[in-house]
Formats: sequence, C-alpha cells, structure tokens
Amino acid sequence: MAGSALAGCAPSTSDDGAKGDEKSGKLRVWLFREVGNKPKEEVVDNVVRRFEKKHKDVTVDVQYIPVDSRAEKIKGAFNDPDSAPDVIEYGNTDTAGYVADGGLADVSEEFGGWEAAKDADPTAKESVTVKGKQYGAPLFVGVRALYYRTDVFKDLGLKPPKTLDEVAGTAKKIRAENKDMYGLAVGGAYTYGAMPFIWAHGGELARERGDEFSAGIDSAKARKGIKAYTELFGDDNCPAGKCAKMGGNETVEAFAGGKAGMAIGGDFNRQAMEDGKVKGDYGVVPLPGLKEGDIAPAFAGGNNVGVLKSTSHRTLAVELMKELGGKQTQEELFEAMGFLPTFTDTREKVAQKEPFVKPFVRTLDAGTKFVPASPAWGEIDASMILPGMFQEIVSGQQDVEGAAGEAAKKMDEAFVK
Amino acid sequence: MSEARVVNGGRTVAVERATGVGVRRWIRKPWRLAAEVGALLIAVVVAFPLYWMVLSAFKPAGEVRSERPVPWTLSPSLDSFRRVFEQGDFARYFANSVLVAGSVVVASALIAFLAATAVTRFRFRLRTTLLILFLAAQMVPVEALTIPMFFLMRDFGALNSLVSLILPHLAFSLPFAIWMLRGFVKAVPEALEEQAFIDGASRTRFLWQILFPLVFPGLVATSVFSFISTWNDFLFAKSFIISEVENSTLPMALLVFFDAETPDWGGVMAASTVMTVPVLIFFVCVHRRLVSGLGGAVK
Amino acid sequence: MSAATTVAERPGTSPEKPVRATGKRRGPRRQGGPWTPWLYLAPALVVLAGLLIYPIYQLGLISFLEYTQLQVSGGEPTTFRGFGNYAELFGDSQFWDVLLATLLFAAACVVGTMLTGCSLAVLLTRIRPLPRLVLMLAALGAWATPAITGSTVWVFLFDPDFGPVNKVLGLGDFSWTYGQLSAFALVFFEVVWCSFPLVMVTTYAGIQAIPKEVLEAASLDGASVWRTWRSVMAPMLRPILIVVTIQSIIWDFKVFTQIYVMTGGGGIAGQNLVLNVYAYQKAFASSQYSLGSAIGIVMLVILLGVTLVYLKLLRRNGEEL
Repeated sequence: MAGSALAGCAPSTSDDGAKGDEKSGKLRVWLFREVGNKPKEEVVDNVVRRFEKKHKDVTVDVQYIPVDSRAEKIKGAFNDPDSAPDVIEYGNTDTAGYVADGGLADVSEEFGGWEAAKDADPTAKESVTVKGKQYGAPLFVGVRALYYRTDVFKDLGLKPPKTLDEVAGTAKKIRAENKDMYGLAVGGAYTYGAMPFIWAHGGELARERGDEFSAGIDSAKARKGIKAYTELFGDDNCPAGKCAKMGGNETVEAFAGGKAGMAIGGDFNRQAMEDGKVKGDYGVVPLPGLKEGDIAPAFAGGNNVGVLKSTSHRTLAVELMKELGGKQTQEELFEAMGFLPTFTDTREKVAQKEPFVKPFVRTLDAGTKFVPASPAWGEIDASMILPGMFQEIVSGQQDVEGAAGEAAKKMDEAFVK
Repeated sequence: MSEARVVNGGRTVAVERATGVGVRRWIRKPWRLAAEVGALLIAVVVAFPLYWMVLSAFKPAGEVRSERPVPWTLSPSLDSFRRVFEQGDFARYFANSVLVAGSVVVASALIAFLAATAVTRFRFRLRTTLLILFLAAQMVPVEALTIPMFFLMRDFGALNSLVSLILPHLAFSLPFAIWMLRGFVKAVPEALEEQAFIDGASRTRFLWQILFPLVFPGLVATSVFSFISTWNDFLFAKSFIISEVENSTLPMALLVFFDAETPDWGGVMAASTVMTVPVLIFFVCVHRRLVSGLGGAVK
Repeated sequence: MSAATTVAERPGTSPEKPVRATGKRRGPRRQGGPWTPWLYLAPALVVLAGLLIYPIYQLGLISFLEYTQLQVSGGEPTTFRGFGNYAELFGDSQFWDVLLATLLFAAACVVGTMLTGCSLAVLLTRIRPLPRLVLMLAALGAWATPAITGSTVWVFLFDPDFGPVNKVLGLGDFSWTYGQLSAFALVFFEVVWCSFPLVMVTTYAGIQAIPKEVLEAASLDGASVWRTWRSVMAPMLRPILIVVTIQSIIWDFKVFTQIYVMTGGGGIAGQNLVLNVYAYQKAFASSQYSLGSAIGIVMLVILLGVTLVYLKLLRRNGEEL
C-alpha cells in the first residue's frame, strides 16, 4: 500500500534512477510517426533485425507515436519510469526541456568513445548537448525549403519566387487560376513554417541575456514577419477556415495530395511527396528572403535518439541508440525518407548521388536559426503559444500587435519559471 | 386509400371510445397524422448519424472520400473493416475493452448491490450522510482526477496495465450504481424478507438467494452506465497505458485513424461501428429496466 | 409494469412513515448486529475512500503546491504556494473566458436537451404504437452510442469536404470547427443528440403513469397541448424532471470527450475550451499540474453547489433520501 503511506504528505516524485543494467529482455523504442511512415518502418525493422541478431535474448518493440501529442506521452513516460521506453526519438527543440525534466540519460562517455561521432556536424552535435554533456545521438538534420509544383508553374507560366513577396504573389496567382488549390499551403499551427518569415524580417523569438531569455516575438520586426505570414491566410491563398488549424504535416499532406501549388516542407518529407499524387511534378528551392538572392533563415530542425535515464538496460539501449543514429541507418533513412544525415561525410556522399538535397544543403549553408535553448521552450511549444497567436490573428480575434503582445507575455512567464 | 381510412377509422373509434373522447375525433385526426409524420421525420434525423456511420463503414474508399456523398452504396466493401482489424492487434484491443468493462461491471454491480441493500434496508447513524456522499460523488469531474489518479496508479505500480483502467472506473461508476440500485432494492417487499427470516433463512442466504435474484434485472440495467463510461474511456487509456501497446483499448485504436493528418474516415467509421454495436445490443436488451431504474433514482 | 409504476407510485406514497415503522418492527428480529450494514458497505467505502476521496484530497493538495514537471521528476523539491495557484488562475483572463464559455455551453445543452426530450415525450403520447416504436428505437440508438464514436461520426457528418450536411444545406466547404460559435454549435448538436433520449424516455414513462382521467379531463376542457403540459403534466412530473435536469447539468458541465475529440482538444487558439478540457491541457500538455488541479477544484466546488440545490429541491418536495 504505497498509496496510504504517502497520505498526508505531498504527492510523490518519481525515482528516475536507473535500475540495474540487464543484458536481455525487451527494449522499448518510441519513434515519431511521419507522414508516409512505411519506408521508415522498413528501415527500422532492418535495424532491429540486425540488432536482435547481434544480441541474443533481446527483443525490440518499436512504437510510432504522433508528433503532435508527443509531450503528453513522453511526460507520462518520465513520470512513470516503470513503463517508460528505453530509447526515444525526440525533436532537437525538446532536448533542453527533457534534460531539465531529468528524463534523458547522460551518454557523454559513450558518445565520446563512439567512432562515428567525430564526423557528426557541429550543429547536430550541439543539438544533443546541454551544458557540455551529450544526451543522445543526432538522427537527422531537418531543414525546410519551398516545394512547388513544376506542372502548375509551367501551365501558368510562373517561375520559382525569388523573394518572400514573390512567394505571396505567386501563391495568389495559383489560387486565382485553380480555385480548388491552395497557392501556398500554410498552417496556423505550423510554427516551424512560420519562423523563417519572422527571421527573414529580422525578428527573433526571444532575446538572450546571459542565461536569461525574454520574448522578442512582439518586436516591430517580428511583427512584420508575423503579418507577412498571417496574410497568407485568406480566400486568395489558403482559406482561414481550413488552414488555421493545420499543422506542418497537414500542409505537407495537402501538397502531396495535389491540393496546393507550394508548401514549406522539409527534406524529411520527400517520401510523402513521392508517395503522393505529385510524384514527378514537384521541385524544391530554398525559401527566399526579403531581397533577391537571399535565403530566409531556416529553422535548424532535426531529431535525435536518446536513452531514458530510467532504463533498466542501459548498455543495450546505448548500443541500439548508436545503431539507430549510426551512419548505415542514416544513409538508409535518407534513401527511404529523405532525412538529411547528420554526419558530414555521409551527407556529402548522398548529396552527390541525389540532387534533390541541394536546395536543403544550400539553405543549411546560408545559415540556420534555432529556438531559444531554454528548458522553457518545451513548455512554450506544448502550450501552443505561437500557434495560438497565429490562429488568433488569422481568425480575426486579435490584431497582430495584440496577439504578439499576449504571446510575448506568456513566453516570458514560461521563461521566468 | 379509402380502405385504409376505414381501417384507420375503425381503430380510432375503438381507441377513442375507450378513452371517451370520440367527439373530438374529426378534429384530432389530421393533427395526429401530422404528429406521426413529424415523429417519423425526427426518427430519421435521429437515426441518420448511426446510419451514416454504418454506411460509410461499408462504402469503398473512393465513395467515402467523394465530394458528392450519397446516402447509399451500390458496391459495399469490407475494406475499411479489414484495415481496422489489421491495425495493430485490434482483436486484442477489443478483448481488452471487454475485459476492462466486464470487470468494472461485475465488480461495481456486486459492491453496489451490497451497499444499496445497506442503505435501503437498514436504518443506522450516518445513513443520510452516506447517501449525500454517494450523491455528491457523482458530481466529481472524473477527468480532473486524472492527475492524482496517475500518481496513485503509479504508486500502486498499476500503470501500463489494465488494472489502472479497471480501478478508477470502478470507483467512478459506483456512486451512480448505488444511487440507481436503491430503487430496485426498495421495490422488493419487506414482507418477503420477514417471511424468509420466519422460515429460518440466514441473512446471507436471504441476501444472495432471495434478494439478489429479485434485484438482478435492475442490476443489469444499472450496469449499462458503468459499462458505457468504461467502454468509452480514452482519457485514462491514453494517460495510463504508457508504453504497453498490447494493453490498449478500443478508443485508442479508433483515435489512431482519426488523429492522422487526413483522417481515414472509412476506418474511423468501421472502428466506430465495431465499438458501438455491442453497446447497442446491451442497450436494447435492458432499456425497459433502465427506465424504471432511472425512475428509482428519482429518490 | 416496470418504469411506469415505479415512477408513479413515488409521488403518491409518503415514504417516511412506513419505512420507519417497519424499521422499528423489524429491529429485534434481525440477525446480526448493528454492524451488519457497515459490513455490506465496507467494500464500497474502501473503494471510494481509496480511489475517489484520496485522489480528491491529493487534487486539493496539489492545487496548493508548486508542482510542475520539475517537481514530479524530482528535479526540484515541492513547495507550498498557498493560494498562489488560485491567484494565478483567477488573474488569467483566459480562465474567466473558459468558465463563462463552460457555463453558457452547459446551460445551452441542458435547455436544449430538456426541451427536445420533453416535447418528444409529449409527442410520443399523441401517436400510435408503430411510429412511437420507430422513434423510440431511433432514440435508443443515439443514447447507446458511446460519446467517442458519436463525436467522430458527427465530425464526419459536418466535414467540409466529405460530409453530407454541408452538401444538403448548400454550405459549400464551410468549416464548422473554425468559428467559435459554429464549433460549439456542432458539439451542442452532438450532446443534445446523445442525451435527449434519456429525458424523453423517462418523461414519457412518467406521463404514462399519470392517471388517464386527469389527462382526459384536461383534454375535454379543450386545453391546448402546451396548457396540458404546463398545468397538468409538468407539476406531476416534477420529481422526474428535477432528476433528469440535475443529471443533465452534471453531465453537460463536465463534458470532455465531445469537446476534446470534435474540436481537436479545444479548438483554434483554444476558443472551444471548457473547464474540464482546460484543466487537462494545463496539466498534461503544459505540465502545470498545480494549475490543472486548481481548475479541477473550482469545478468540484461548482458541482457541489449544484448538489446542494438538488438536495434542497428534494427536501422541498418532501422526499426522503
């Protein structure tokens, strides 16, 4: 009766300490479910088969969890070590938060001793690092660029846009000619698609002073970016009634299904396009900036694989992590899904084979940006502060200034905590 | 036409003579006809969502995602059901749901039966207080308790297992079950009890061999509510079944189809059908008693 | 037998006397001591104490603590905040918006459910058995539908692309979940759809239990349907109407599944949040467990208020628990 023993005192906290290091049994793995997940599953099944062959008496149970509701799920896992998985895939924006929550295991030692790690590109390595310690292995780099329909552009005599203004203009032209198509598919909940607009206008999500962050989303420049993005919602491009609630995956899905002339998608979305109606009819260019020749700073996204602190199979879990984040898997994932490898040599190798990645590599080289490296970001993200802001503007509940001010207030509250 | 009128007329006369308002028959008839047409129209509207659910479950994928939905299908297909049953271990989830709901129903019925007997057939101190407690307990917003319940289940080590679904639902369905059962227990005449004791029956014997069979139909009706709330649950299933997919329940499987970027409507409707049919059968079987039970809960 | 009689006997009998009398009479002959009822109550009390009262206590406790993910995973010690969480909650304008929306939405659902249920119950008494059976069966179907499947089906019916409703009404690709009101309206339809049958069936049983002569007298007086209801049926059905109203209030105030599923967790920019979903989002999405708990306590207090009103109404009716 653990429950009654606790009566009277504060609710218990979880004991996240590792419980031994078993060498057999079941390893649980959580990976993200992507749009068009099948090829990813096939690659992972291969990895699992290799791994199980190498380690007798070990079974690996892989689950694919939805990205949108990952916060609840992963929190549940942190709160109950007994039922938590051993290895998880996580977005690099969550690293700081998960480490602060005490969920991820420090694998600095193993990472340091890992042959392949020296080839990892510095940005990717940074994304698993908190205060000098590594909490996982990078899995892929995710940058977003502008997908467009080559056939539609040809029919309408359009050229890939060279500035952000042209993006909007082109979008409206497409919509005007094709009433059942969005010009540029945008989503009110697509934060990472909206960020380049803010950054291109010189805005920032937050300002960093020492260790402290304060919201920058309500600055004049940021507001210009917000305005530019939210103006894309409307009957002349992407009707608010449908687009306000869409997230990144929905916009990709819309483009892949032939319902949009352009979309902001990642390297990791290629397979969804190949499986969709637009196969063979699309091209990719970097999302342009304000001036011709500029590239809008993209969000340096990407996912990592990490080991949970509470795992009872630490050695095995780390082995599996290396296997999943290793060069061979990354190459296979690139071929299957278009995930850009995090190892510089692997990336060069695939770039030569596959011209598709060029716009993404160019975007990477032009300089990328990241979300505030604060544990509070996880909460800001999970509380949907930025999507809420976009949606309020798009649906006319608030103007840009009011919504941005409110969002900044909420962000500041989260930073202070 | 005329024949029908005669038949109708004959029946009306009989009814009206019996109720003694035959005078008004000419005025009432068109009114009643309108009322009946209205009732049938309402019935169609009310039944339509269920009809559409089953229909869409049987429509081939192309027709479900058609821009011009029609209320029939000429080529029914089992594809959606096939997708549903291939989704993970659907049969297993179904079995889990049955197991969880079944355990809750049986346990809550037994416990509620005892408690209802205590509060209706005995007079003791704190009886009224207890009744008010049972009433107030129905008000508790179950979802708000997810938080402490999560920690409680964790401390029991029950998370990730079906026990973590059974226990909370047992607690949440008890107050209403006791409340509703009181009417049924009360309806058993006191004389019967006295007769039993005169015949030398022990209290336990009376309880299980005389009272229980008499109350049983009411118990079944009461169980519908425990059954539905448990069958329906996705919040606890979602929060408490953290990583053991094999312990998932039906609503979780349903939401997999629904949550995707573009919902697989055929799959959602097929899964919904599979989820609804057992409850529907249960309901139709017990609905008469249900009504009387709710009447009993009046007090 | 069944419904009708059980219900009908109620208002007529005066329960107090006979029960007390038999209680006394029975007393000496009863086997087992005064602890027998407690023995019977024991399992129920154990379950409720452990799995309902203790969690409520914990809920209250957490609402006074600083309790976020950091505390849960043991990163930081839990600290007592007093009414800090409540102050934070009451200082947040969103909370008041959500509270207002919850109250209005629940009120609308209760009124809608009662109106639909009662008028259809009266309608049932005016039609012949066959149409009555048809309507009853349709209502039973709606009643039996689990909230979660009901929600998905209604969303599908109103889907802007593939749903039949927009096609029939000629609304084009109007998105019901986009606007705050239309999204609430959509949920309202679903809630009324699945909860009016209970009101209808119970009220119908109640009307049937009213002595025929009474209704005939009203009918001979030439009273309209509305007047018959107003001055004959409603007063006699009062106890039943109170119960179903109270049940509706409880259920509609706590509505969770429908909002969560149909508006995707609270609608665009949280415009369709109701308290229950709001508490869940605060606790599990943003892991502000203490704020979520405080919202839960607020709900509990409101519903306890409803309970008190209920008890008062029962007592005024001269009923005994």
